[in-house]
Amino acid sequence: MADVTYREALRRALDEELDRDRDVFLMGEEIGKFEGSYKVTAGLWQKYGAERVRETPISEEGFVGAGIGAAMMGLRPVVEIMTINFILVAMDQVVNHAAKIRYMFGGTVGVPLVIRTPGGAGAQLTAQHSQSLEAWFAGCPGLKVVAPSNPADAYGMLKTAIRDDDPVLFCENLVLYNVTGTVPENGDFTVPIGVAAVAKEGDDLTIVAHSYTVQRALRVADRLGQDGISVEVIDLRSLRPLDVDTVVESVRKTNRVLVAEEGWSTFGVGAELAARIQKACFDDLDAPVERVGAAEVPMPYSKPLELAALPLESKIEAAARSLLRECGL
Amino acid sequence: MPRLSDTMEEGRIGRWLKREGDSFREGDVIAEIETDKATMEFQAYDDGTVLRIIVDDGETAALGAPIAIVGEAGEEVADAPAEKEPAAAAEPEPATSGSDPNVAAAPPAPAPQGNGKAEVLRVSPIARRMADTAGLDLRSLAGKGSGPDGRIVKADVERALQGATPVPGTDVAPAPEPRPPAVSAPGEGDEVRELSPMLKAVARRMTESKTTVPHFYVSSEIDMTRALQLRKELNEALADSGEKVSVNDLIVRASAQALVQHPQAHRSYVDGTHVYHAHAHVGIAVALDDGLIVPVLRDADTKSLRQIAVEARDLAERARAGKLRQREIEGGTFTVSNMGMLGVSAFAAIINPPESTILAVSATIQRPVVRDGAVAVGDIMSVTLSCDHRACSGADGARLLQTVKRHLEAPTLLLA
Repeated sequence: MADVTYREALRRALDEELDRDRDVFLMGEEIGKFEGSYKVTAGLWQKYGAERVRETPISEEGFVGAGIGAAMMGLRPVVEIMTINFILVAMDQVVNHAAKIRYMFGGTVGVPLVIRTPGGAGAQLTAQHSQSLEAWFAGCPGLKVVAPSNPADAYGMLKTAIRDDDPVLFCENLVLYNVTGTVPENGDFTVPIGVAAVAKEGDDLTIVAHSYTVQRALRVADRLGQDGISVEVIDLRSLRPLDVDTVVESVRKTNRVLVAEEGWSTFGVGAELAARIQKACFDDLDAPVERVGAAEVPMPYSKPLELAALPLESKIEAAARSLLRECGL
Repeated sequence: MPRLSDTMEEGRIGRWLKREGDSFREGDVIAEIETDKATMEFQAYDDGTVLRIIVDDGETAALGAPIAIVGEAGEEVADAPAEKEPAAAAEPEPATSGSDPNVAAAPPAPAPQGNGKAEVLRVSPIARRMADTAGLDLRSLAGKGSGPDGRIVKADVERALQGATPVPGTDVAPAPEPRPPAVSAPGEGDEVRELSPMLKAVARRMTESKTTVPHFYVSSEIDMTRALQLRKELNEALADSGEKVSVNDLIVRASAQALVQHPQAHRSYVDGTHVYHAHAHVGIAVALDDGLIVPVLRDADTKSLRQIAVEARDLAERARAGKLRQREIEGGTFTVSNMGMLGVSAFAAIINPPESTILAVSATIQRPVVRDGAVAVGDIMSVTLSCDHRACSGADGARLLQTVKRHLEAPTLLLA
């Protein structure tokens, strides 16, 4: 089990699913000869040909719609949207069609579609190309939304998503692509959707995160650990369905919780979790639920301003320490 | 207890200027409160009447704890506790712990339990549940919570259940420290006294400095013969005005001039950055009966010797009278600690962070010196500069000290 990158874990999952099931095919901009903007589909066009690794024009609404149609007819399309920012022009297809069809057809027709797309920021891609919009979709019944934080989960969850009979928005992250980790060689390895993971156990404080922010949270946990503070890190992995039970179990143990995310806090993942936690854990809390997210501004281009807007480790750590101070720790 | 200094964790009522039944107007000074730094005047934020004093003259309360109940004249506060002890019945809105200190305001909130006692005790849910389970009466922890606005949190309940006293407002809740035996066990006739808030702050800050700031020391001997002559001439010339220039004023002036010439010795190490100071704000350590305080003479580099003398004297007098304002004891970039009047021949001082240097000044002593190849009587003053090695190198410190020496030995420069 050699370490592989998140990118390679995704590529391997796509390769194995293309090989396993003739109904699986890929669609997206420049995913063939060019191997995708982030090289996730490297080698697949050569191996499976242009019919199963299909290049599309720059028309997200068109090819997401085509994916929905193909899925309704029994295929299992995996559509790549270059970054989550570009999904906005296909919003109607995702929210009004993919998410609604099983319901509106009385359960007779499903949409086994996967939309893969990275979010995230940090490379001065500025306001329109630095967003983390997954929470918008996680509020929509009919969709599944996942956001794995490491190569093994990326591998296992992409396979699960492709085999799922309903539409899955599979959120990747630009910074995660080069993160490495071990991935099981076993082609049958999958990770269920809707089950969070305890990424690190601890007793004094729970930090809940998803996607790349889990990596940040783990480093913050290490730093606080050096001061004798024991932090538990919960990796949500899926946003919809949301595994509230795992979070609740952790908060009942630590009595203190901070939710960190790369998107904006307002109406974000932390907002949803704060509501769930206060309901389930009201008598377990030692302090109000704390949230850390991106600054409530369009992402600035200027590097110092970008750093100021991002929910960096330093901000998560400061929020954690402040919360712990409120608890006399 | 309002926050009247950035670092205070508790305060002591110096004295109430308004007693129970006295009315006051917005802006009136109601009490004098000793913080960790100074005695501050506590002004009313609104008109009202003192209905009940909870924390009396000379007593200490944690930040955010109620110290008095105020309201309309004649208003009933029958539900208030007869003692200032726990109960905290009728606990008024505690002063907010932020920058908006406020007098505890009546009327008390209605009693949630309906037992006739008005009771608003801030408790985190888990702390309340733990206390319920353990049968602990949370009122015994009233005013002792270490959370925001005195909220009782899990750690307070845990400590209470372990039989330890809660430590209000501390940044890090220390485990109840077993007292080291023998050493601290008071002997027969010994007396154990609590530290004043200021002495606590000194103890904490000096420990923090000496254990976290890498100190090094540079010493020099300065021939003060000409400086003393200059001082004598100045004081003769100023005799009619009543102004007087002290040796310390000469040192403050020389230091301020030197600091702005040596930016590398005039910067602070803060969170991995160097903060270069534009102006020399010179702290002057003033010994008190029991303790010390360091008023700051701001922009000393832009001030004449006469201005420095007038301001330093005023600061020192008000320091001894406990009348310094908060902003007069903040923002120093350098400190002079002068024990010359106590006859010491040499000493080294502990840096007052975030300042990066402090000058320890010893007595000026007549000693034989060699001048132009001949032995003569010189007035020699020994000085030691303590430096934060994260902010400046040995050479930086040495150059700063060299310039101070040069200005004092050729003191016309002090007039330049």
